Amino acid sequence: MANLGPPPKIELRHVSKSFQDLKRGRETVAVEKFSLAVQDGEFLCLLGPSGCGKSTILNLVAGFEHPTKGEVLLDGEPILRPGPDRGVVFQEPMLFPWLTVLDNITFGPRMNGGRPEAYLSAAARYITLMGLSGFERHRPYELSGGMKQRVAIARAWITDPKVLLLDEPFGALDAQTRLMMQELLVRVWEQARTTVVFVTHDVEEAIFLADRVCLMTARPGQLKEDLRIPFDRPRNYEDLVPDKRYVELKRQVFHSIREETIKFMSQDAGAGPA
Amino acid sequence: MIFGNRKTLISAAAVATAIAAWTIVGSLGLTTSLFLPPPQEILTTTRELLRDGYRQVPLWGHILVSLARALVAFAAAALTGVPIGLLMGMFPAFHAVLDPFVQFLRPLPKLALIPLVIVWFGIGELSKFLLIYLATFLTVVVSAAAAVLSVKEGRIRAALALGVSPYKLFRYVIFPSVMPDLFTGVRVAIGIGWTTLIAAEMIAANSGLGWMVINASSYLRTDIVMLGILLLGATGYALDLLLVTVQRLAVPWMGKD
Repeated sequence: MANLGPPPKIELRHVSKSFQDLKRGRETVAVEKFSLAVQDGEFLCLLGPSGCGKSTILNLVAGFEHPTKGEVLLDGEPILRPGPDRGVVFQEPMLFPWLTVLDNITFGPRMNGGRPEAYLSAAARYITLMGLSGFERHRPYELSGGMKQRVAIARAWITDPKVLLLDEPFGALDAQTRLMMQELLVRVWEQARTTVVFVTHDVEEAIFLADRVCLMTARPGQLKEDLRIPFDRPRNYEDLVPDKRYVELKRQVFHSIREETIKFMSQDAGAGPA
Repeated sequence: MIFGNRKTLISAAAVATAIAAWTIVGSLGLTTSLFLPPPQEILTTTRELLRDGYRQVPLWGHILVSLARALVAFAAAALTGVPIGLLMGMFPAFHAVLDPFVQFLRPLPKLALIPLVIVWFGIGELSKFLLIYLATFLTVVVSAAAAVLSVKEGRIRAALALGVSPYKLFRYVIFPSVMPDLFTGVRVAIGIGWTTLIAAEMIAANSGLGWMVINASSYLRTDIVMLGILLLGATGYALDLLLVTVQRLAVPWMGKD
């Protein structure tokens, strides 16, 4: 840790987080002694079986929750609360249904006293990038699931955050839409180069998107493997699928995540019926 | 849309059948006018009352008096109940203070309160207003508080991550989020408030639809009782339709999110 350069963009130091489990009347440890440093401009995927605490990590960085033990730092400063320097995209789009697409996208700057000239031109840029042209005046309930999620991504990105946090954003989409969204996200990211933490349980998604994949253990979540993804950008699935390194990497990750899933399932069974 | 039209048609046919059955029962002489006056007789009575009024008050006067009493009470209940309910939803301590009173009074039959209301507030308009107001107010409060608690955690987090202050979170996220539920709550409350009208007009009234029904029953004028019931029902139905229309215009995203 005796690094001479600037501090990492995001740093979690020996973070533990436990919750009161009201149903079972005891504490559940979601994450234990978890440490991770995300470098500036890095695209990192947190991969793990369900219930491994990967969303908890994201919520800690977003500032929605606070660690029971340890520290969560942004640019070396402790994270105390949510803020526009950390954009968040959830599995559900969580748009404001009473606002148009344009008003949803510009919500952050409008709430923070941004100048209309500035945020309207930024919105126009993201509307083009996200393929939302012609839908500015539509309401969220008039859009498809994929389009809603594109609005949500634009809304989080327009504040020009230091980091973008995505919590299984494509988990609720169908397989084809998911592929299109992955390609779109990477295309925009290659221009913006925002530091990204992307939570997923989809192995292929993680390898396709990330510079670095961090694999988590079953609960309590700890770092199991830290893998650098060697493929050049821009990537596409057609080139990756026949690539031997891709096949081997995928096999290795599948194997590792399967072990954790089995552990998680036996844990769950051991705890008795809920 | 086709199905919507068909539903309306089926409903209209059902109503027509009921009225036809009622007419037939009356014209066959199966019942007496005291027991069930046929529709023709009620039409005649309506014409008489339109011409002469009932007990020195024209028929529209009774309708207007009842509507005025109810609408003043509804407006007051919405204007006070919504903010109090929202505050209860936002602040658990405030909720804890008021909740026992609200939960005790809400299911209480408002007729039981008449003696107390008369002792405390007399037999004037204030007592009538208070009975309708109380019934409406309590329902509005409960639904507004529940509406706040049902706002999705994720939507609040999305707003917080965009850097909204607590005041702006309430003004620009929570308030619009609860709008559809508030409308529904006010609608239900008005339905309940309207049913309290009879109770309110039992207190020394000399006009109003509720009073007309009670008064006519003591003279065995079942035709006027039934006319009063029809007018009470129709007015309540019209009020509800009006609210549904306003709701559709004000919160077009209702149920679509």
